[in-house]
Amino acid sequence: MIDFEGASVRFGGTRVLHDVTLRVAAGALCALVGPSGSGKSTLLRLVNRLVAPTAGAVRVRGVDVANQDPARLRLSIGYAIQSVGLFPHRTVAQNIGTVPRLLGWNRGRIAARAEELLALVRLDAGLANRYPSELSGGQAQRVGLARALAADPDILLMDEPFGAVDPIARRELRAELRRIHAATGKTVLLVTHDPGEALELATHLAVLRDGRLVASGTALDLLAEPVDGFVRELIGGGDLWLKRLGLLPVRAATEAAPPPPGAPAIDEAATLLQALSRMVEERSEVLAVRSGDGDGAPIGSVSLRGVVERHP
Amino acid sequence: MIGRAARPATLGLALAALAAAPVASAAWGALGGTGRAYPTERLLGLAASHAAVALPGAALGALAGFGLGLVVTRPAGRTLRPLADALVAAAQAVPPVVVVALAFPVLGFGAAPTLLALLLYAVMPVLRGTVAALEAVPSDAKDAAAALGFSPFRALREVELPLAAPVVLSALRVALATSVGTAAAGALAGAETLGTPIVLGLQNQNQLLVLQGAAATAALAFLADAALLTLGARMLPAGGAAATRGA
Repeated sequence: MIDFEGASVRFGGTRVLHDVTLRVAAGALCALVGPSGSGKSTLLRLVNRLVAPTAGAVRVRGVDVANQDPARLRLSIGYAIQSVGLFPHRTVAQNIGTVPRLLGWNRGRIAARAEELLALVRLDAGLANRYPSELSGGQAQRVGLARALAADPDILLMDEPFGAVDPIARRELRAELRRIHAATGKTVLLVTHDPGEALELATHLAVLRDGRLVASGTALDLLAEPVDGFVRELIGGGDLWLKRLGLLPVRAATEAAPPPPGAPAIDEAATLLQALSRMVEERSEVLAVRSGDGDGAPIGSVSLRGVVERHP
Repeated sequence: MIGRAARPATLGLALAALAAAPVASAAWGALGGTGRAYPTERLLGLAASHAAVALPGAALGALAGFGLGLVVTRPAGRTLRPLADALVAAAQAVPPVVVVALAFPVLGFGAAPTLLALLLYAVMPVLRGTVAALEAVPSDAKDAAAALGFSPFRALREVELPLAAPVVLSALRVALATSVGTAAAGALAGAETLGTPIVLGLQNQNQLLVLQGAAATAALAFLADAALLTLGARMLPAGGAAATRGA
């Protein structure tokens, strides 16, 4: 859906991106991670031609963006940024209706769409006629997300979209994004400096360092041995393997051996990290594994030893 | 906004009343002054010709200043900015009497050189105000407009100008008040304005005429300001007030 082909960007004498080749498949939620100044935002801005590559090419839906009209290209791509950038002189509904209006939709259809999107991002319909200055940070971010989604673009670019809100609103917004991504199958390119956010949301991670792509793949790929030192530091922090366990389901380490009577139970779809937490909580080295859909009868067991020795 | 226009309107009417012959005579007499008052109906005629010079002067100058302000804030016109600033500052630095004098040979005597002086005087505040207003538009709103797919023209019309409007309006008020005030100096070049009784009063040692001319000029300036505020309130989008309040 989005292809970076040896894309390089220089601003004046400074090299911001160097020879980045990355393919984002249709329907992927690709997180761009890296320290600040690593070029992630610039990579994102190549997609809708806010930045032009000094070498290489960027293709969107198979077509080189250099050959597309910038305004028309941008109308076809949703864009949400940390500073939100809501228009202060327009109401919430008018802000959400921006792209549909530019596309020439009629008034009734725009109003209906704004109402639909307020519901999608779980905002009260009564906010429609408010001005941005009357919103909380979290509400403004949701309106920004709704505005990005307004014309139902198949590609969504997000630059630290949940950066400016408190941790609770942030968690809710992440869940919202995951739900929306699952429900709509859009291709999402997400810039984040928070590796936890990337691990939680992304189907694909791209790690940037000093303008170069240093690693790319699923979270499990990136956390598999041998882990690149930089990636280990950036994503792993001090508990790389706990993060890896957080990505693996209990069923990956389930043994056929029946659990001892009275062992606490855990769902097979839970993560191994949750299983570990439950073992510590219950002071039990073995848990009974239950199938998610069945009658709740144990289908096997998972043990501390099994997690330590047999994790994939 | 209608409320904001009430004060200059009241002041304008009070000063207009003071300029009227009977009131001015009475007030002047009470202060121990003497002299014959300038007839009210002739004062009204001068007010009309005063406005006929001051308003077009302000309007043309404002138009030029606004246009220049737009040009020098566009990416293509950015290099013209220092030049425009220098020219406009020079125009402002030359006293109106000198402009009138310099324009004599070309434009002759009367309203035309006055109009030119007023035009030049209105350019700078409006240019400055327009540039400041456009530069004060939040950059995230401008960035968002570009990223969402506004063409540069639509971004200007639908995002930048509505957000800049309150500050531009303030600049227009300055230009208009300056223009109405300065037009009185046009009397020196033979233009029929409310400066005429002032010049007459100075020549004949009759301060009553000076008082009437000054009060009438100020009255006209305040009334013009009130009219502009009322017009602005109608033209500014409803959200303009909310925008300045919140962001």
